[in-house]
Amino acid sequence: MIRIPSAGGFAFLEHTADVGIRAWGPSISDAFEQAGVGLATLMGATAEPSGRTEPVHVEGIDLEGLLVAFLNELIYLFEIADGEGLASLKVTRLEPTSLDADVQLAPMDTSGEGLLVKAATYHQLEVSERPDGTAEARVYLDV
Amino acid sequence: MELERVNEYEWRVPIGTVAGMRVPGIVFGTEELIQRAVEDRAIQQVANVATLPGIVGASYAMPDIHWGYGFPIGGVAATDADGDGVISPGGVGFDIACGVRLVRTDLTWEAEVRPRIGELVSALGNATPRGTGAGGRLHLSRTDLLRVLRDGVGFLLDRGIGSPRDAEYCEDGGVLEDALPDEVSERALTRGAGQLGSLGAGNHFLEVQVVDAILEPQAANVMGLFEGQVCVMIHCGSRGLGHQVCTDYVATMDRLMGPLGIEVPDRQLACAPLTNEAARRYVGAMNAAANFARANRHVLANGVRACFEAVLERSARDLGVALVYDVAHNLAKLEEHEVDGRHRRLCVHRKGATRAFGPGHPSLPDAYRAIGQPVLIPGSMGTASFVLVGTAEAEYKAFASTCHGAGRVMSRTQARKRIGGHELARQLEAEGITLAPGSPKLLAEEAPFAYKDVDEVVRSCEGAGLARTVAKLRPVGVVKG
Repeated sequence: MIRIPSAGGFAFLEHTADVGIRAWGPSISDAFEQAGVGLATLMGATAEPSGRTEPVHVEGIDLEGLLVAFLNELIYLFEIADGEGLASLKVTRLEPTSLDADVQLAPMDTSGEGLLVKAATYHQLEVSERPDGTAEARVYLDV
Repeated sequence: MELERVNEYEWRVPIGTVAGMRVPGIVFGTEELIQRAVEDRAIQQVANVATLPGIVGASYAMPDIHWGYGFPIGGVAATDADGDGVISPGGVGFDIACGVRLVRTDLTWEAEVRPRIGELVSALGNATPRGTGAGGRLHLSRTDLLRVLRDGVGFLLDRGIGSPRDAEYCEDGGVLEDALPDEVSERALTRGAGQLGSLGAGNHFLEVQVVDAILEPQAANVMGLFEGQVCVMIHCGSRGLGHQVCTDYVATMDRLMGPLGIEVPDRQLACAPLTNEAARRYVGAMNAAANFARANRHVLANGVRACFEAVLERSARDLGVALVYDVAHNLAKLEEHEVDGRHRRLCVHRKGATRAFGPGHPSLPDAYRAIGQPVLIPGSMGTASFVLVGTAEAEYKAFASTCHGAGRVMSRTQARKRIGGHELARQLEAEGITLAPGSPKLLAEEAPFAYKDVDEVVRSCEGAGLARTVAKLRPVGVVKG
């Protein structure tokens, strides 16, 4: 099984033709990690923690843009990684307009029943931080 | 949400429904279809599109409208190419030039194909890469991939794949001349290099179909269609290459809107004026991805041809295997249309809508000029599909556009809750539909009841004057993406 970040969680959102992810955690970085794990789960692209680590760097004009760029980076990695899926992931640095993460990829442990996700979209996109510092994100995917 | 009824099949979304609308919305469909669209917030999206700078006429939606992201699925928006019009990559969608190809044969179902359908579907299933991560039938070098992006179907013909007739009967002759492969990112090329000749997933399919009814004998005759005939319909797009082109340029335009002072009610409507450098680059990359999509369907159809030859042990020529037409339903095109008595150059976005030129249009193959452009409407998996033709009337109604399919009404989870994959497979088999092996879970997500009634969608298009129905086809063999 993929290593799920201990803090926070994710849930899938219903959409007529597509599907969304709501992710939350004690910080924005945690919520972004949860969103990444949610994406991999939806795509059936998960793996045992092992394998190679890919450093990821994305930029965006704001936190919402960063989340979309981050998820699109993962979609790209899953598609070109022949038979490999997400084993674990860690957001190592989060600035207002840039994000770095370590993405661990390993041979997939799923049956190929995942959804083909074309991209993360900006539709009804939301990243919010509560006064206590906890965070929540919502993003819709084109499937 | 207040809609004004214009007539039985046409509804108006008045200016002011959302702030900043520059034109009204016009939605086509029966009262029941419209009610569904209101419930799933798609009408709100029609109103949002009406705020785009330079939009001309109205923000249109076809009877298969449903909730999308940014644009509604089924949306048509034309912007002024000689003025302040914009182009929005989200108004084309991630699956650039996703579309439908119909291949005919001289074979009759009952006598010639029915006894061999199991073997035929098995062969087609094995010859058609599908699902997530599937590599295509052709693996291309970087140089050859760039040629596909520039030359579309022509590149494959040069390699001896297919016949010249295949280009002639494809929209735009199989190639958009103004493609700019250099504007396609390295990442998009990496995703596309191994995917030419693959179906993808979701609602994409390859079906063996039988012509169930002919409704316009003259047009059917011109297209070589007759009752009881076996055809193959392919529904797929530009794969990861197209998805990445859209991803790249939505992000580019999202960054540009602030500096350009453009505001839109939904960030997925990100856009740039057609005169902007980013827009010029996107148009070139989009056209390149469209060439990839046509080439993709061409390669798959060539695999179909080989399967028919192998299973029926006759040559494709002898079997009468030939392309009827190939048309895209996710694309933006520069077209000339008459607006208020004046010819104007417009950028027509069709997001889940099909171009439907009427009789006499110069861009049609000679053989089809008298009947109008063939429009291919894939039903949802296991339900009827249709062949329509464009009308002269549609030119003045929605910039020569019509519907593209059934349109979803139920989410994937809801569909899975209602039926198991194995149960659905049994039901389809009981209805006489042979299925190529695949995932039961993904089968259930595409259950026919998760979609609108395609008959009602087509009837609405006909009622609204957007197209005429030529033939109805029913599936007998399904290879699901």
